[in-house]
Amino acid sequence: MPLSSDTFQSHKPAAGDTLSGTPAIETHGLSKHFGQRKAVDGLTIRIPAGTIAGFVGPNGAGKTTTIRLLLGLVRPDAGSATVLGHPLTHPERYLPRVGALIEAPAFYPSLSGRTNLEVLAHLGGHPRSRVDQLLELVELADRARDPVRKYSQGMKQRLGVAMALLPDPDLLILDEPTNGLDPLGIIQMRDLLRHLREQGKTIFLSSHLLGELEQVTDWLVMLNLGKALFSGPAHEFLDRRSELVVEAEEATQLDLVARIAREAGYTVTSDNGSLRIACPLDFASELNRQAREAGATRIVIHAREVSLEERFLALLKGERS
Amino acid sequence: MHAFRSELLKFRRWSMLAGSGVMIASTAFIAYLTFHQITSGATGPELTPLIQAFPTSQGLITVVGQARSLIIVIALIMVTSNLAAEWSQGTLRNLLVREPNRLRLLTGKMLALVLYVIISAALTLVISAILIFAVAHAQGISTAAWTSSEGMRTLLAFFGNEMLCLVGISLLGMLIAVLTRSVGAAVGVALAYVLVPEGIIAMVWQQGSQWFPVRVLNFLPGSAFPPAVGPTPPQGYLTALGVALLWMIGFVVVSALVFRQQDVNA
Repeated sequence: MPLSSDTFQSHKPAAGDTLSGTPAIETHGLSKHFGQRKAVDGLTIRIPAGTIAGFVGPNGAGKTTTIRLLLGLVRPDAGSATVLGHPLTHPERYLPRVGALIEAPAFYPSLSGRTNLEVLAHLGGHPRSRVDQLLELVELADRARDPVRKYSQGMKQRLGVAMALLPDPDLLILDEPTNGLDPLGIIQMRDLLRHLREQGKTIFLSSHLLGELEQVTDWLVMLNLGKALFSGPAHEFLDRRSELVVEAEEATQLDLVARIAREAGYTVTSDNGSLRIACPLDFASELNRQAREAGATRIVIHAREVSLEERFLALLKGERS
Repeated sequence: MHAFRSELLKFRRWSMLAGSGVMIASTAFIAYLTFHQITSGATGPELTPLIQAFPTSQGLITVVGQARSLIIVIALIMVTSNLAAEWSQGTLRNLLVREPNRLRLLTGKMLALVLYVIISAALTLVISAILIFAVAHAQGISTAAWTSSEGMRTLLAFFGNEMLCLVGISLLGMLIAVLTRSVGAAVGVALAYVLVPEGIIAMVWQQGSQWFPVRVLNFLPGSAFPPAVGPTPPQGYLTALGVALLWMIGFVVVSALVFRQQDVNA
């Protein structure tokens, strides 16, 4: 995706608008029920302006419903939220500055890619030149006249991204944008997101590809059963993802180590004759010292960094237990 | 205005063009068939009123208007399927993100759709009329009564009332689409409604069914035909017009209220 300076206007947020300032998205106790099912349940999150925020959760966690709430497509049963400083009750005040790709992008299959974009450009009052710019950006200019039904999954996904970028948005909400993209397409998407962040735009990115999110996000929101398990700077979450693995021949020595770790406030799990302690890596020397003092002298401590997936699964497991 | 212009772009879809094509071809075919039956000397109780009206100033509309019910059904399907497809295809969410004012979006869409239906129906009637004129001239049949001032007045009255009827039908289609939110369900409900309450129930309860919306709307162009051809409004033209307008207002109000509050999960 070739990036040029005239495709996007730079909207660098003022200092006060960044991590500590006015959030791009803020929700307080946001709830949405469909019959007896709680899709979103008292959700309270905050996304600072100018960040790439990863939105993670298992299927049915409430991600898409949250996105639909933010876009004014469904109405909340309780709670409140602001998007770009405006309340959800007035989507017409903020949606002209928001671009969105929700779930699988939807098109008129018998119309060309260009006409599909023109339909939305006319509706939003965007100039026709914007359509050409975006077709170039997503590398669909040479297939722009073909009906969308002849597009591959990856091409449809790129057209969906072009649709989301039509208003040159300050806030971009993308639901699984890399679906159907080949590895090169995923790398290009990553570059595009970084480029947009450099322009001062906020990106709210829902994805199942946690490894992919890990590479681009500054902020993380983790959702399960409609509730936020974590909402904060990505580094806070990622810093916590190390663990110590302790091995010993005698079970009594492992019991001593487990007691010390638990007393220090860390989660300990047994795994095939070894212990896994979720803690910062610098706890290793302290653990070793206390273990020796307690008489556990024949232990081996390994440091291990867990993936975002493992950390996320552990968080889910903790939530479920 | 943005919503209206945006909707016009979608008329390039083959499904829209196919709807117009079917309307034009089937109406012209039925008009020609009626003309042929009348001029070939065929007889029968159903043909007698048509044969009597044929040489009069109402002759042309009697022949061309035989496919009126079909035009109504095709227009209803065109509107319901077009509008409901926005839910079925999921494109409604794209539209609402770019135009969050739902009433403005629905108004723009419906203005464009009604315009399309009216243009299609007008083309249909004009093409059918030209065909019948051409065939009549080719067979040496006099069309003087059809082109007389009375004939033109009758033609314009029929044309205007037919367009008004189709506006009402389009608004009914909008209501069905907004309530069902799916192409299959919308077209099914639309056809079932025309067949069951407006068709079958009307046969056994004529007194009450004369106030049903499709029937009332159909009375409007029917008032331009001879009473024996009809359907002329039993309640009188002005009463039928007033009731038709009330139905149209009702369709608009209910559609607007529902669409404004509806969750868009498609």
